[in-house]
Amino acid sequence: MSVVAAEWIKLRTLRSTWWALGIGVLVSLALTVLGASTVISRWDPARTSDQAAMGIVVAVYVGVILAQLPLGMLGAMTISGEHASGMIDTTFVAAPSRACVLMAKAAVLSGAAVCGSLLIAVPGYLYGRFVAAEFRPSLLPTGAWTVIAGGTLMIVVTTLLGLALGAILRNGAVATMALVAIVLILPFVARVLPWGEQINRFLPTYPALQLIEQAPDIMPTWTAFTVLAAWAVIPLLIAVIANERSRPGS
Amino acid sequence: MIEVTGLTKRFKRTLAVDDLSFTVSPGRITGFLGANGAGKTTTMRLLLGLDQPTAGRATVNGMPYRDLKRPLTHVGALLDATAVQGGRRAEQHLWWLARSNGISRSRIGALLELVGLAPAGGKRIGGFSLGMKQRLGLAAALLGDPEVLVLDEPTNGLDPEGIRWMRALLKSLAAEGRTVLVSSHLMSEMAVTADHLIVVAQGRLLADAAITELVRPGTSLEDAFMNVIGRSAP
Repeated sequence: MSVVAAEWIKLRTLRSTWWALGIGVLVSLALTVLGASTVISRWDPARTSDQAAMGIVVAVYVGVILAQLPLGMLGAMTISGEHASGMIDTTFVAAPSRACVLMAKAAVLSGAAVCGSLLIAVPGYLYGRFVAAEFRPSLLPTGAWTVIAGGTLMIVVTTLLGLALGAILRNGAVATMALVAIVLILPFVARVLPWGEQINRFLPTYPALQLIEQAPDIMPTWTAFTVLAAWAVIPLLIAVIANERSRPGS
Repeated sequence: MIEVTGLTKRFKRTLAVDDLSFTVSPGRITGFLGANGAGKTTTMRLLLGLDQPTAGRATVNGMPYRDLKRPLTHVGALLDATAVQGGRRAEQHLWWLARSNGISRSRIGALLELVGLAPAGGKRIGGFSLGMKQRLGLAAALLGDPEVLVLDEPTNGLDPEGIRWMRALLKSLAAEGRTVLVSSHLMSEMAVTADHLIVVAQGRLLADAAITELVRPGTSLEDAFMNVIGRSAP
């Protein structure tokens, strides 16, 4: 627990953390508000209150996943910044278990990602209800929880994938490139390939878009959750193994 | 007490540390001397569990570093004082370190005072001179009130007054019964600071003796060092 507390102090005493979170939250919130207004203005007046509530939640979580890149970069910088400055040695002298350090970083970053997503989702949801008041939206229909869980998991997974890539590649710019490639470029490339749907099943973006109802269902919901979660768990395991090896060339 | 036994580290083709064995005893300052690239830093990194030895072992109070609980309360280390993130304030840097080992945050003020950084405690490390970073690194090493200190070239970047201050501080720490291992390539500094010397070249142990044995009357430590190094030359 001490290591988690120490990592939490480290995370919040760097200005870059607040820049990444602030930009991520503000930009996403602005786009959520714009997006929600546009979508709601086009709704069929016959929409039920459950459909209206669902529509608001979906619009909000489309906004939330827009914050994934700043948060993924924050994840990468959290460890690559220590490699660049050399402070990682001090970290490992204070806490010799490297797996523990990585898990502690993962824990505080997950917390930051969930808080960030709530800072977008809660005001976005309240705004959506305000704009869609004439549809008398219900509170949270059953299907909404899948969207909330899927959107939240997506932003946590991207943050942790950034951390894992930063730990493996030890360079912030390279890790960010790899993250953008996995989250944005590969899914786009896969769409134009003949067997792209098969590839997309195994990339993190499609399952996330399916869960927040932005893509047709091509796999069961639990499969989508599993594939998405695996994109945090497996890279972190690789990072733990890569970290246990001594520093090359030093 | 530091014990190094048959310690060996090979990086691809280079043998950085070659079957090194020595003991660092408490209550005195042990100077760790060698030219650049002699294996001093690698030995210290192996001792602190930052690298895995190819063979042999290094222990602190009988235990490998990685097995120590709350290691900062046993060993204080200063490897590279510039290896800090510049965006943090000095007291924030010491705060996360203290927290990671369950050390009270209340020690930070007194330590900043001790190393002469009290007025700069709230400033960002990025603006510090090398000398100030060395002082901060020393405060970090002393955070857990450790019995063992491992310092890699701590006088780098210090002004003459800072060097005198550091020397006096190290002597008082050794006088309190702590084990102090200080590496350096500055002969004149080691001659007036260390009680005991360990001399290495090309990763091998060349001398492990009291400073009075190595430096005979009428010669300088520099002469003695060159003599020891010269004897080992292939």
